[in-house]
Amino acid sequence: MKPTPVQLMRTWEVKRRRVVVALSVMAAACLGGSWFLPWWTFRLFAPQYPKGLSLVIHLTGVQGDVAEIDTINHYIGMHSLADSALLERAASHWIVGLTAAAVVVLTFLAGRKLGWLGMVIGLGLPLGFVIDTTYWMYKSGHDLDDRAPITLKPFMPTVIGDGKVGQFLTEAWPAVGFWLAVTGVVLLAIATWQRARVCRVCPTHDECGTTCPHRLLGHPS
Amino acid sequence: MLVPSLLLFFASCQNAGAPTAPAPTAGTGGGLASIMAERGLSEADVLAAAKTYTPTGKLDDYVIFGSGGHGGNIVVIGVPSMRILKYISVFGPEPWQGYGYGGLGDDVLYEQGKQGGKEITWGDVHHPNLSETGGEYDGNFLFLNDKANARVAVIDLKDFMTKQIVANPLVMSDHGGAFVTPNTDYVVETSQYAAPLGGKFATLDKYETEYRGAAVFWKFDKVKGRIDQENSWAIELPPYAQDLADAGKLVSDGYVFINSWNSEMSAGTEGKDKPFTESGASQNDMDYLHVIDWKKAETLVAAGKTTTINGIRVISLADAAAEHVLTFVGEPKSPHGCDVTPDGTAVVVGGKLDTHATIYDIAKMQDLIAKGTFTGKDKFGVDIMDFQASIRGQKELGLGPLHTVYDEKGFAYTSVFLDSTVVKWNWKNLEEPIEALGVQYNIGHITAAEGDTISPDGKYVVAMNKMSQDRYVNVGPLLPQSFQLIDISGPTMKVIYDMPIPLGEPHYSQMMKADKLHTITAYTPAGTNPYTDTKSEFAVASGEEKIVRNGKKVDVYMSVIRSHFTPDNIEVNEGDEVTLHLTSMEQALDQTHGFAIDMYNVNVSMEPGKYEEITFVADRAGVFPFYCTEFCSALHLEMMGYLLVKPNGA
Repeated sequence: MKPTPVQLMRTWEVKRRRVVVALSVMAAACLGGSWFLPWWTFRLFAPQYPKGLSLVIHLTGVQGDVAEIDTINHYIGMHSLADSALLERAASHWIVGLTAAAVVVLTFLAGRKLGWLGMVIGLGLPLGFVIDTTYWMYKSGHDLDDRAPITLKPFMPTVIGDGKVGQFLTEAWPAVGFWLAVTGVVLLAIATWQRARVCRVCPTHDECGTTCPHRLLGHPS
Repeated sequence: MLVPSLLLFFASCQNAGAPTAPAPTAGTGGGLASIMAERGLSEADVLAAAKTYTPTGKLDDYVIFGSGGHGGNIVVIGVPSMRILKYISVFGPEPWQGYGYGGLGDDVLYEQGKQGGKEITWGDVHHPNLSETGGEYDGNFLFLNDKANARVAVIDLKDFMTKQIVANPLVMSDHGGAFVTPNTDYVVETSQYAAPLGGKFATLDKYETEYRGAAVFWKFDKVKGRIDQENSWAIELPPYAQDLADAGKLVSDGYVFINSWNSEMSAGTEGKDKPFTESGASQNDMDYLHVIDWKKAETLVAAGKTTTINGIRVISLADAAAEHVLTFVGEPKSPHGCDVTPDGTAVVVGGKLDTHATIYDIAKMQDLIAKGTFTGKDKFGVDIMDFQASIRGQKELGLGPLHTVYDEKGFAYTSVFLDSTVVKWNWKNLEEPIEALGVQYNIGHITAAEGDTISPDGKYVVAMNKMSQDRYVNVGPLLPQSFQLIDISGPTMKVIYDMPIPLGEPHYSQMMKADKLHTITAYTPAGTNPYTDTKSEFAVASGEEKIVRNGKKVDVYMSVIRSHFTPDNIEVNEGDEVTLHLTSMEQALDQTHGFAIDMYNVNVSMEPGKYEEITFVADRAGVFPFYCTEFCSALHLEMMGYLLVKPNGA
């Protein structure tokens, strides 16, 4: 027997709901997984460093030629990189973990009116990172020890793209962790759109507000 | 690319008159021709330049470890550029490396280096030998003998530093050594001038009865990277002036061959009407090539058939002879050179007063020993094999053939001293004619690329000449010695570079593929003691620097980083015993500091991450600046501090 248009609609809806859940879980995995990966890379070039120096920012701390960069930076009175963003680093696993968890939980909990919330929370991670990194870069270029051998005018290090400090050419670009987090946000955006399409045809559309009465998958029909 | 383009250039020059030939371009072509004309360079000269010139940023393919002779050090040279890459100080103090000026190296140089309780600060180094694994250089260690004071040094190639000196407790001079067995189980050091063993006294009329030589088998601990003196042993040898030596390899692994030149047992004039040693030791037509079965010797040592002399277990000459640990075969008089072929089947011996190289067949000798076929015994009861029955043949090479090295194609290259030539010959086919290349002048040793391994590379041979005479601007009357790089890749040999060696008489060298090195760039973690390879318990972390006073003893825990010492002011009292514990906090490539205290004869080198320790008595009161002696940074001059030594009673 041929399925009725209503049955066809239900089948489509169930599939779509599953897609939303799958996308959200994948997004949470991207966000969570990014914690293990480098988020930003700074490279410094000078004649006496033919291979360049690199600084790799992880959410948990900095890696690469940290000691060497600190040693050079002390000449202009910059604080040690080890002293930057202590709170953020210490809390990074909570921040990332809770973000990923919130994304998953909201997939089931959020109702029609809050379908976008998971995406916005997810977006908070890369966006917050960029803002925080920019803040600490600003701070490191401005909060200089005035007893340092070399007195520089406070400056804003280049956070993305090419820059120049003293004899150093600098180059800063997002790294794989950042891109993974952005991928997570893009997946969440797609999930949000798909959810909106599902909610539009949902039988409980009218009773739905901030929370989904049937946890997205527990369809009433 | 340069060589083909040069050839094209020459081709185009020859055609320059022809109407079809393109006019030389105004760029490099014309420039090169005018430089050649101006400097009087031939095509061969320009080709030699192209084969050796190494533009900035390009690295050499091979590294030579050359003996610095009585300079007591090693010269490290890149091939083909022949650029000096480093000197490694071994038996003498050297301030750049901070060796012997107050730091941890003082223990190696002044304590371990003592012979018979005497401090000795020079050496006459002859034969550097690289450590081997399976008969191939492994790039881990370098061993070096000091002929004058019978010592052997261990250089760690991880950081090109002398890590150990062992003093031979038996003999008063060495020559055959330091060479290694194919897996570096032993570093062998054999005597040269005979003397009573263990530093005892005996008059020269007792030369035959009391004077002896010895072959010391230093056990090498590959894990620790040090000679294990406890587990080393020796074989007593007759007083025949043992000379050069080599270890068997592959089929002949387990044997050591040593030539000798004083079967006459001449001890010179002895204050009587006897001839000088030069004549006295040159009377017999034959001397003795010593054939040592060291694996059998090991079993005697294990069985306890040894006598301990001056702390080392020695197999007696009588036991060595009786057990065939030692057998002899004649060799033409005043032999020199003793070089086992890459396949381990033969050993080639030259002769200072002969025109031939003799090729001994090791299998034939093994057979003679196994069957007990001997022609007689020497005065000490050592069995002698028949010369003709032991050899594959002899090859006439010229006047005074000395040392032989090998290539990958089956050719041997022998240095011929009196003729001043390098002679290329086929050691597998003695009928083949030789090729002789004149070198300048009086060639002694010779080295070839990986030439002492089971798989030589060919390509390059270096003639190590005792005289340079007119080759360089006269800086005499003491003139440098001279290395000549010889290209052996073509059908004929060509000298392609002359390099003066102005720091001692180079003897032997070895040439290793540069990519076999695994040199570190920093000591990691910071605070690593290079002599223990572990982080020193006295190393400091940044922020934990301190000065600890305990009576008259002052310990300073200092960090070293661009461009400051922490602490930078040290105040002590006259007569205090001061120990400085220095930790370099650096890890970056080439970021070396120095630490010198003015007027206190203190200077150490602080490579990245290194721990150093300087102990001295502050016996001169006053104010003594200390500073960094390696130009480390823009603020290098400011990297300084003061040692204040308060006068007593002040």
